[in-house]
Amino acid sequence: MSATASLRSPGATARQTSRDRRPGTGRLVAVELRKMLNTRAGMWVPIAVAALTALVSIIASSNHGGHEGTFRHALHAASVPGAYLLPVMGVLLICSEYSQRTTLTTYTLVPNRWRVLGAKLGASLIVSTLATVTALLFSILAASIFGHAPGGTGSLPLSIILQTWLFLGSGMVMGMAFGAAILVSAPAIVAYLLLPLVWNGLAGNISWLQTPARWLDSDNTLGPLTQQNLTGTQWAHAAATFALWIGVPLVIGLTRIGRGDLD
Amino acid sequence: MLSTMIEANSLTKRYGGRTAVRDVSFRCEPGTVTGFLGPNGAGKSTTLKMLCGMAQPTGGGATVMGMPFAELPNPGRRVGVLIDASAQHSGRRGAEVLATSAQLMGVDHKRVGEMLELVGLDRAAGRKRVGKYSLGMRQRLGIAHALLGDPEVLILDEPANGLDPEGMRWMRALLRDFADRGGTVLLSSHLLGEVQATADRLVVIARGEIVAQGTPGELTGGVPRTVVRAADGELADRALRRALEEEEIVVSESPDGGLLTEADPGIVGRAAMRGGVALAELRPASDGASLEQLFFELTTDKTEYHAELPELQEAAR
Repeated sequence: MSATASLRSPGATARQTSRDRRPGTGRLVAVELRKMLNTRAGMWVPIAVAALTALVSIIASSNHGGHEGTFRHALHAASVPGAYLLPVMGVLLICSEYSQRTTLTTYTLVPNRWRVLGAKLGASLIVSTLATVTALLFSILAASIFGHAPGGTGSLPLSIILQTWLFLGSGMVMGMAFGAAILVSAPAIVAYLLLPLVWNGLAGNISWLQTPARWLDSDNTLGPLTQQNLTGTQWAHAAATFALWIGVPLVIGLTRIGRGDLD
Repeated sequence: MLSTMIEANSLTKRYGGRTAVRDVSFRCEPGTVTGFLGPNGAGKSTTLKMLCGMAQPTGGGATVMGMPFAELPNPGRRVGVLIDASAQHSGRRGAEVLATSAQLMGVDHKRVGEMLELVGLDRAAGRKRVGKYSLGMRQRLGIAHALLGDPEVLILDEPANGLDPEGMRWMRALLRDFADRGGTVLLSSHLLGEVQATADRLVVIARGEIVAQGTPGELTGGVPRTVVRAADGELADRALRRALEEEEIVVSESPDGGLLTEADPGIVGRAAMRGGVALAELRPASDGASLEQLFFELTTDKTEYHAELPELQEAAR
C-alpha cells in the first residue's frame, strides 16, 4: 500500500484513447446482468427458478391428473415458477439499488438515470428469454421421457412458445415497473401481488366493474397466453392489462427515478 | 489543461421552505487539495452531491472539468467520487464491486487487483462480501473505487471516517501525492485535523453558507496570535483576563485552556506584570492552533444559532 505506487500523473493511462467514450448500451445491459447475478441473493433466485422449472416439468409430464399429457400442458406448467419468481427479480433489480444505496455509485458512473433503467429493462428481457428457453427445454425433455406425442391437439406451435415468452417477459417487466414506482422491495412485492388481487375482488362484487375487469384482470387476460392462440379480442384485453399494470407504475417510476435526489 | 477543475457557482439547495445550502461558490485548481470543512449537518454532503449530479440545485450550478457532471461522457474515467463508503451492496464481494465498475467504465480488469493492493486490501479481503467489511475497509474499498478509472479529479466525502491513525496518515500521503502529480482533490471533513496537514486551500462551511475560504495562511491572516496561561489555576486566569482587558487587549478562550489573543507576546507579558499575575505559559500560537481557534469561532456561533432552529439542522442533513 505505498502511496507512490504510481508515479505517472493522474489520468495518464489511455489519455488519447477511449476514456471519453460513453459506455454503450450493450455494455450497460451486460453490467446490469452482472449486477443481477453477482450478489448472494441474486445468484440463488435464478438457480431456484431453473430447479423448480425442471421439477414442475417432470411432475406435469408424469402425473397430469385427467388431462391429456401433452407438450403444451408441460410447457404451461413449466412456465409457472418463472411466472412467480421473475417479477420478484424485476422488483429487486430496481429496489436493491435503492435499499443498498448503490445508486450513489451507479448514477455517478452513468448520470443519465433513464439509460440505467433502459439497461435494466434490456437485462430483464434477456433473463426472461433465458427462462423461456429453460422452460421449453425442460418441458420438451420431460414430455418426451414420459412418452407424450409432440403432435395433435396438445402440440406446441411457435405461436404458443412466443406467447409464453411474452407472458414471462411481461411478468418480469411488470415487477420492474412496480419496483420503480415504489423503490422499496417488500412493499413493491406486496403491491405487485396484492393490487391485482384487490382489483379482482372488487370487480367480482361490484357489477359495473365487471366489464372493465374483463379487460384488466391479469389472471383472465394473461393466463391464456401459455395455453391457446389468443383471439383478436383477447389480444386487446392483454394490451389493456399491460397498459394498466405495466404502463401506470412505469410512468410513476420514471418520474420518481428521473427527478429524485439520492440519499 | 483546464485551470479550474471543479467550480461551484452560487449553489443553493432548499427543501420546502428550508435552506440547506445557500449561495456556495468555490473553485478547485489542478495540483491542489481543497479541504471542505464544516460541522456535521453544515451542508457538505448536499453540496458534494450537487457537484456530482446526485441532487438538483434549487439555484446556481456547478461544473467539473468545465462541464456539468452529468454531461461527462464517461465520468468515472475523469472524476473519482466517494460520497458514502457504506453505500455498497452487502452481498457483493469487494473485488467484484471493482470489477463490475471496471467493466462499465471500460477499464482493464488488471486495475482491480492493482487498486486493491494500493489501498491495502489483500486477496482474502477482496474475496469477502462487503457486508463483512469494517468501516475502515469500506472506506479503503471506496477510495480504490474512486481511483479505479484513473481520474484527474477526486471528490471524497469524509473519506477519513472509520480509518485508524495509520490509515489516516496513509490516505493523506496518497491524496498529497495525487495532487502533486497534477490531480485535483476536494475532500470534506468535520475535523480540521484531518485535512489541515494536506490541504492547500480550505473552504469552511457552516449552516449551509461559506464562512471562510483561502489558504491556511490567508485564513489566519498572518495575525500574530499569542497563547497565555496564568500559573495558579482558574481564579488566576480570570485575573489575567481582567489585566489584559484593562490594556484593551482582546482575548478569547483557547479550546485547550488558557487564553488566546491577537496581541504580541511582549505586550501580553507586560500587561500581566502590571496586573500582578504570574504566568505559566506565554508563547506565540502555532499556525495550527490559530487555525483551530478560527475554525472553532467560524463554526460555533453558527452551530449555536443552529441549535435554536432544529428544523434547519435537519434540512441541512
